[in-house]
Amino acid sequence: MTVDPFVLLVSRLQFAMTAFFHFVFVPLTLGLSTLSAIMLTLHYATGKEIYRDMAKFWAKLFAINFALGVATGLVHEFEFGMNWSVYSRFMGDIFGAPLAIEALLAFFMESTFMGVFLFGWDRVPKSVHLLAAWLSSIGSNLSALWILIANGWMQHPVGAKVEMAVAGKRAVLADWWAVVFNPVADVKFWHTTTAGMILSAIFVLSISAYHLLKKQHVEFFKKSAYIALIFGLIASVGEVVIGDIHAHEVAKTQPTKLAAMEALWESKSNANILLAVWADQEAQKNIVEIPLPIPGLLSLLAAHDFNAKIPGAKELQEKFQAQFGDGNYIPPVNFMFWAFHIMVYLGFFFVVLFIWGLAKYKDLENATTFLKVALYSLPLPYIACWLGWAVAEVGRQPWIVYPPVDDYGKILMPELGLKTAQAVSPLTSIEVIITYVLFALTFTGLAIADFYLLAKFATKGPEKEAELY
Amino acid sequence: MHFDLQTIWAILIAILLTGYILTDGFDLGVGILHPFVAKTDIERRVNINAIGPVWDGNEVWFITAGGAAFAAFPEVYAALFSSLYIALFVVLLALIYRAVSFEFRSKEESEGWRKFWDQSIFWSSFITALLIGVALGNIFAGLPIVNSAIKGEPLLGFVYAEKFPISFINLINPFTSHGLFGILVGIATVLFIVMHGVSWLLWKTEGSIAERARNIGLKVWLPFVVMYVVCTGFAYTVSFKAGDLELVKRTLQLPPDMFQQIASMIDNNGVLHHALFRFPVIELIFIVLAALCSVGWLFAVKAANGAKAFLFSVLTFLFAAFAVTFGVYPFAVPSSIALEHSITIYNGASSQLTLTVMLVAALIFTPIVIAYQAWVYKMFLFKISPESIRKELEEAKEQY
Ligand code: HDD
Ligand code: HEM
Ligand code: HEM
Repeated sequence: MTVDPFVLLVSRLQFAMTAFFHFVFVPLTLGLSTLSAIMLTLHYATGKEIYRDMAKFWAKLFAINFALGVATGLVHEFEFGMNWSVYSRFMGDIFGAPLAIEALLAFFMESTFMGVFLFGWDRVPKSVHLLAAWLSSIGSNLSALWILIANGWMQHPVGAKVEMAVAGKRAVLADWWAVVFNPVADVKFWHTTTAGMILSAIFVLSISAYHLLKKQHVEFFKKSAYIALIFGLIASVGEVVIGDIHAHEVAKTQPTKLAAMEALWESKSNANILLAVWADQEAQKNIVEIPLPIPGLLSLLAAHDFNAKIPGAKELQEKFQAQFGDGNYIPPVNFMFWAFHIMVYLGFFFVVLFIWGLAKYKDLENATTFLKVALYSLPLPYIACWLGWAVAEVGRQPWIVYPPVDDYGKILMPELGLKTAQAVSPLTSIEVIITYVLFALTFTGLAIADFYLLAKFATKGPEKEAELY
Repeated sequence: MHFDLQTIWAILIAILLTGYILTDGFDLGVGILHPFVAKTDIERRVNINAIGPVWDGNEVWFITAGGAAFAAFPEVYAALFSSLYIALFVVLLALIYRAVSFEFRSKEESEGWRKFWDQSIFWSSFITALLIGVALGNIFAGLPIVNSAIKGEPLLGFVYAEKFPISFINLINPFTSHGLFGILVGIATVLFIVMHGVSWLLWKTEGSIAERARNIGLKVWLPFVVMYVVCTGFAYTVSFKAGDLELVKRTLQLPPDMFQQIASMIDNNGVLHHALFRFPVIELIFIVLAALCSVGWLFAVKAANGAKAFLFSVLTFLFAAFAVTFGVYPFAVPSSIALEHSITIYNGASSQLTLTVMLVAALIFTPIVIAYQAWVYKMFLFKISPESIRKELEEAKEQY
């Protein structure tokens, strides 16, 4: 079988583009649904009108953002069959199940109860209304769980075996619970939903800062900011811990990814963490490197042992080449290193930001420096999320399904690995270029319209309006 | 019929697709009717609010059907979506625009903005309905797919034998049999969707919109019945060629008695005639029932009884869908090139373990989903009209 390299390239670009657009809207959905449910709970618990207005105001922004999450997600779901038909037929037996369960269990719940939450004001009993808000928030987080079980399986395919069927070779399910409780998928879930919480906290904080700087609706936005600060601090401290567990899983199951993330060329015990690097991929070495002056920290984080030996890129390349034939098995090191490290640095920055805000809270409307920093921090959690996905997905290359590996490089079932280049549909270049260009134009146009509306309603502040289309 | 896991899954996916056409169908219909029943800005808002809280939940049926097909019949999912690449792409674009149109339209006062999204609501609903019909028609009449494993290619699966742009043109090319059938089914689908939208508007709204919907309903009934009869007649003529019976036996993986039954219908030239009418008695009964229900619908619309009209449009579709499903079984995507290249619910299915796991999930969650969706519908089934919407808008202004 010969693959047209152009079709492969454009298919990859198209998938990555859809994913990136999807993830502009999704993390806000995840976190803001919870935040507005919290506000609604405060309203029903205390009877105070201000919490009701808060829930309404933030839920309106939530709804504007939500529409594009749905639109881009829809494309995602069908792109597997459209662009990655070989992948879909080879892995569908396992990969399709969590995707279907996601729709059945999570999407229905989320979209149905969101309708009740957004349109049920004064129409349904209070307890039902509150329940609906929480069910819609739980629904969106459940959808993250199942999609990440699917994605986690592509990173670390457990519970599967390969067989020959009439339509060709394929992977089949051997152990369902192994797929569900895949450690890689489970840490991904906590990491991603927590990222959504951080992002939403900063979203609320930043818009509140805008109004507080203008000294308008002070009480309203001070209270909103307070909820966001508490919520954000818990999430961002949690994220540092979860991120560390996550990196530990990556080290065990995807050694080539870890080596690229840390720019580690030579296998090393007592390995150092690097703060900054510039690597020469061809020559397989670092030109510049600035280490953190604590020896063995990388070994400690990756393997929970100061003296553990961490396999480097050179050794892994040789090992993979011997097992899987010629090819490049090391993802682009400079890109991976910086994507990963900027995310981590941002993670620490968010902790500082929330602590700073809580320290200034008493007189928040006059803490101009803090408010300005908070306002301009709005893009940062988005960047952190994108970089995180870039690490996860680019770092998986050249594999679409990374062969199952354990214990820092022991290859368990080489026959389960599938390279991205083998997985693409037999399409023509005209087809993929048409869809790529038109999707790009559509997504960009709609995203601009969406940001325009978000900005319009965010800066307008809390006004009473009918809950109508 | 065999009640094995594959058949159960085929039925479940048919149910999901039916659920989609019956729920999202009426809001697609409302979208197509949008420019015809709503003339003023307030009326347009009424029309959109008639489906406002429910359309997103309805669309999830489509996503679930897609996901379930992926899980239960990965070969079908992979072959169909890569073969119908451009057509599916257009459907996706339409669904994207529809989703945002509802959300965006009333969020900005300017007339140009609102006009744009009104247009978008109409076109996206129309194109979705039409292309879903076109795709179904093409699939029933057989797509030019080949099983590449027969040629010794172990990874590719079922691939489309035509290349773009022929592959796309042929979907609506009236000179190929599957293209012609696609067009016919596409038109019939649009007409049905409009009828179903009329039922909903009669049920959910009162005043000027319900009036206009009723008048349109009375006009589309006859064309729909004519198209339904034409499609059925055409379906009767569909036939498939079998190249090599040994291969058919080996690659389709049908249970032996089912293979015997189909093999016995193949004539000396290797043609399987009336491929969609292998159980003529049952199918005819369903077709007649569908026609009778559509008459019931006409009377309900005449009486302007929305709930009854809705019931009858649902029944019309259910019986029509039963008839087709019976006809196609056990094929999922028949190949117009040769029978042995077809995807059946046996050679296209997932492993027994996956089907079992998924069945357990479906048996637990589907009833729960249906229960809460029904409950939400009940809650939102109060009537709206231009007057009621105007009042709501004014009250909100006064509060402020
Ligand atoms: C971590 C979270 C997360 C991730 C990684 C993904 N999604 Fe997503 N998705 C959501 C979290 C989410 C969400 C927050 O639950 C959304 C946003 C809007 C919505 O309805 O739910 C959603 C919407 C959404 C929808 C529309 C649902 C509806 O109409 O209600 C589909 C079909 C998908 N997604 C499919 C996918 C696919 C195929 C993905 C992977 C390639 C994917 N999502 C990644
Ligand atoms: C929403 C967040 C996501 C982002 C930002 C993202 C990002 C990316 C990027 C950048 C690529 C291209 C990698 C390359 O070719 O170098 C890619 C490819 C891909 N990703 Fe994701 N991804 C996301 C979610 C997912 C999820 C949840 C899944 C699985 C369910 C997934 C499955 C894939 C597949 C199948 C490809 C195509 C093959 C490949 O190039 O590896 N992605 N994604
Ligand atoms: C100190 C903090 C952090 C550490 C140690 C960390 C660690 C990691 C690691 C190792 C990955 C790659 C997983 C893989 O390749 O499969 C990852 C991915 C990711 N990160 Fe972080 N991260 C941190 C902070 C953050 C923050 C603050 C955000 C966003 C607000 C974030 C968002 C993401 C996302 C969305 C992904 C992709 C999904 C996933 O693989 O789970 N991370 N992170």
